[in-house]
Amino acid sequence: MDNLVLKRIIKTLTITVLAGGGIYVLSFLLRSGGIPENEVVIYSAIGSKIDSLDPGNIGDTSSSSVASQIFECLYDYHYLKRPYQVIPQLAEGLPSVSEDGKVYTIRIKQGIYFTDDPCFEGQRRELTAADFIYSWKRLANIKYLSRNWWVFDGKIDGLDDFREYTKSCKSMDEVDYSRPVQGLQALDKYTLQITLTKPWPQILYLLAHLPTAPVAKEAIDYYGKSIINHPIGTGPFVLDKWNRGSYIEMVRNKCFHDEFYPSEGQPEDLENGYLADAGKKLPFADRLFFMLIQEDPPMWFLFLQGKLDASGIPKDNFQQAIQEGQTLSRELAEKGITLKTFRNPSTYWIGFNMEDPLLGSNKPLRQAIACCIDKKRYIDLFTNNRAEVADGFIPPLMKSYDPDIKEKGFGFDIERGKKLVEQAKQLNQGSLPVLTLAMPSTDVVARQYGQFYKKSFKEIGLELEVDYMDWPTYLGKMHQKDFQMFQSGWVADYPDAENFLQLFYGKNVSPGPNNFNYVDPEFDKLYERASAMLDTPERTQLYRQAEAMIIEECPAVFLLHGVAFTLHHSWVENYKPNTFQYGLSKFRRIDVEKRKAYRYK
Amino acid sequence: MTDSIQTTKNLQKPIKGRSLWIDAIGRLRKRKLAMICFGIILFYVFIACYVQVAEWTGSSWPTNWDESTGQKYESPNAQNIFGTDIFGYSILRKVLYGTKISLQVAFFASILSILIGVPMGAAAGYFGGFIDDVIVWIYSTLSSIPYILLILAFALVLKDKTPFGFKLAGATTVYLAIGLTSWVGICRLIRGEILKRKESEYVLAARAMGCSGGRIIFKHLLPNTFHIVIITFSLRFMSFIHAEVILSFLGLGEKDKPSWGAMIDSARLDLPKGYWWEMTAATLAILIISLALNIFGDALRDCLDPKLRTD
Repeated sequence: MDNLVLKRIIKTLTITVLAGGGIYVLSFLLRSGGIPENEVVIYSAIGSKIDSLDPGNIGDTSSSSVASQIFECLYDYHYLKRPYQVIPQLAEGLPSVSEDGKVYTIRIKQGIYFTDDPCFEGQRRELTAADFIYSWKRLANIKYLSRNWWVFDGKIDGLDDFREYTKSCKSMDEVDYSRPVQGLQALDKYTLQITLTKPWPQILYLLAHLPTAPVAKEAIDYYGKSIINHPIGTGPFVLDKWNRGSYIEMVRNKCFHDEFYPSEGQPEDLENGYLADAGKKLPFADRLFFMLIQEDPPMWFLFLQGKLDASGIPKDNFQQAIQEGQTLSRELAEKGITLKTFRNPSTYWIGFNMEDPLLGSNKPLRQAIACCIDKKRYIDLFTNNRAEVADGFIPPLMKSYDPDIKEKGFGFDIERGKKLVEQAKQLNQGSLPVLTLAMPSTDVVARQYGQFYKKSFKEIGLELEVDYMDWPTYLGKMHQKDFQMFQSGWVADYPDAENFLQLFYGKNVSPGPNNFNYVDPEFDKLYERASAMLDTPERTQLYRQAEAMIIEECPAVFLLHGVAFTLHHSWVENYKPNTFQYGLSKFRRIDVEKRKAYRYK
Repeated sequence: MTDSIQTTKNLQKPIKGRSLWIDAIGRLRKRKLAMICFGIILFYVFIACYVQVAEWTGSSWPTNWDESTGQKYESPNAQNIFGTDIFGYSILRKVLYGTKISLQVAFFASILSILIGVPMGAAAGYFGGFIDDVIVWIYSTLSSIPYILLILAFALVLKDKTPFGFKLAGATTVYLAIGLTSWVGICRLIRGEILKRKESEYVLAARAMGCSGGRIIFKHLLPNTFHIVIITFSLRFMSFIHAEVILSFLGLGEKDKPSWGAMIDSARLDLPKGYWWEMTAATLAILIISLALNIFGDALRDCLDPKLRTD
């Protein structure tokens, strides 16, 4: 026993010393670091290790936020405007779409060059339509094993056949990229034509998604497998140093094309100073410094020391940072730190299995459960108030969010819930059995949720059993439809409510994303119609109609929409959070003198 | 002359024999600290019994631990002397309720491990040969697996199973898992003790009179090794309480009711926010019973085993 205690003490001490040493080394690095005095540097943290900077194979947010400084896509989101708006980046304008919604013709900006690199043998290398075709065929190449094939899977005419063809090749080098794909044509050097298998307006958002960024064939051929260490893009920055497991440094791309800070935004942007740099050439910084910090405490200390320009708020430091009422604590406000909150495209819920013999056929019961949960208290207890009450599934940041949704939804109302339970009992021959809820975790927070739900159900006379399980078991149960209720949520990939609607589409039932196993032919018809439409007021109307339908049928109790918090120091200008865009460093401006003064103090 | 007569008289007076137990209790009583600890243990047992009876009779206090008695995270005050948790539940009630769970688990796990360990140890020691080989092989295999991992594996396997129509959940899983895995220690001790004693005169005499193996084990050998069982019981009891805490902390214990482990688990998230009282209350409850059991168990061993006597 004594031995154990001793060992534990030694272990703790070792960890402390190592962590302390790590911070010391990091701070030493930041102080001297070999960074030229007169350069403007942005210091950021990345939370997990980066394996690859090849856009075709990036699947996590840390890698995306780094690689997005180097690569660009055809489209991007407007930095300031809300609701989120897609704008051209490498494209000259929005695509022209054929009558049947299947053929997209996109003009590419002229005079955009890949950054200079030995792989181009001293020549300047201009971006052309063929680069996109090559890059997307590469995603389809099964020998490349891209984790981003889902982007185009089954969507582009002939690209799936190309994938089939690559299966017959023995290695990656054997794949013949000159093999034509019907749906991907370069009409001329700067015109790209995409033919889809069926109308798919959401393609626009995916053309703003990093995996669709163009890469140069010369670079891939030249670097071979080590291309993951040699990102060659068209973006504002280029890789300078990459010390794996420690830091990544980037410098300004000398070949970067002209791009300017936006001159339009939301009405309040002028007041908030986001438009002070309107029309100025981007980027503002000379160098980016990304530190790999996997633990929260050192990241928080470095931020407080002014060695990181911005930071999220670690859970353990939330009380220190934020006061009741969701304002910044005095301690941090006095340091000149600013708090920014922004909405996440997320919704969380308790879902019902509509194939369950009891719940599926008992609408009053489902509605009663929707009435018994005090969502405000839930948010207060479990999210540090980092959320908004959800009445429907479309998050408020989306264009199709219904401002009148509150009237349509089921609010917290115990009396109404009790009445509905009575109706439910009558429907079920006078009594109701114990209900079960599948919880995808066994940890303490899950158990607290469980306690909360049990208590809420009890208020209206229902009995609940909570089944705690690990994630794989939970997924297994979802796939086999072996559950009654479940706690879950969804974070949208792009700002289109279609991404939420598909969760209730009849053809998507488990093991697809429709875990509610909700099937309603009328809803399906509405979904099929709306999801093939371009963004019009009529489509918005259809989305809202579909949402109202779901709320009435109640295959889920919608609990909350996420809100994120982020902090930055006073020397960072133009810091407007953006939940869909990653390559934001080009917009940030740093007041170096202010930072120096803070660090010195 | 008179002296020698006196001595003879004294010799003639029958000397009243004292059994090992009376002797031990007499010695134990002289140890103040041990008696205080015994009192503490009795107090815990009383609380556990009280909660159990309250649950049977439907009495509300402290089984109504899931009723808010204040705002969330109230620090200790006159109304809630240990403060409140995230839901505004009284931590005092949770600690009291947790006492029942912990003691219940430790008690049943101890009984189970004795029921398995003692007969197996006795059989191995007495019969030797093939039986001994098999039993030693089983416990060597079990003891080669790290203890906590073994309990975890058992708890995971037993969780939510329904053998003979009886659903295993919460505390039942925990004490089955602990009981089924922790009989090795006692089994070894008993085996060794029986090996030592099976050649002693009283056993040889019993054998000469034609007693069966079972009779010799249960009538003659086990009563003579029973002090070992008692000592192990009191010392292992504490480690079973700890095992319950660990299992609950890892989410394998009682899932809907408060136990000390579950309380520590949830307080872990509150501690960085400065809400220290739930953690303090649960750890204090564990600390006091562990200390009391440890001191009392040590004293008991000293008193029951004459060879270890220090007084």
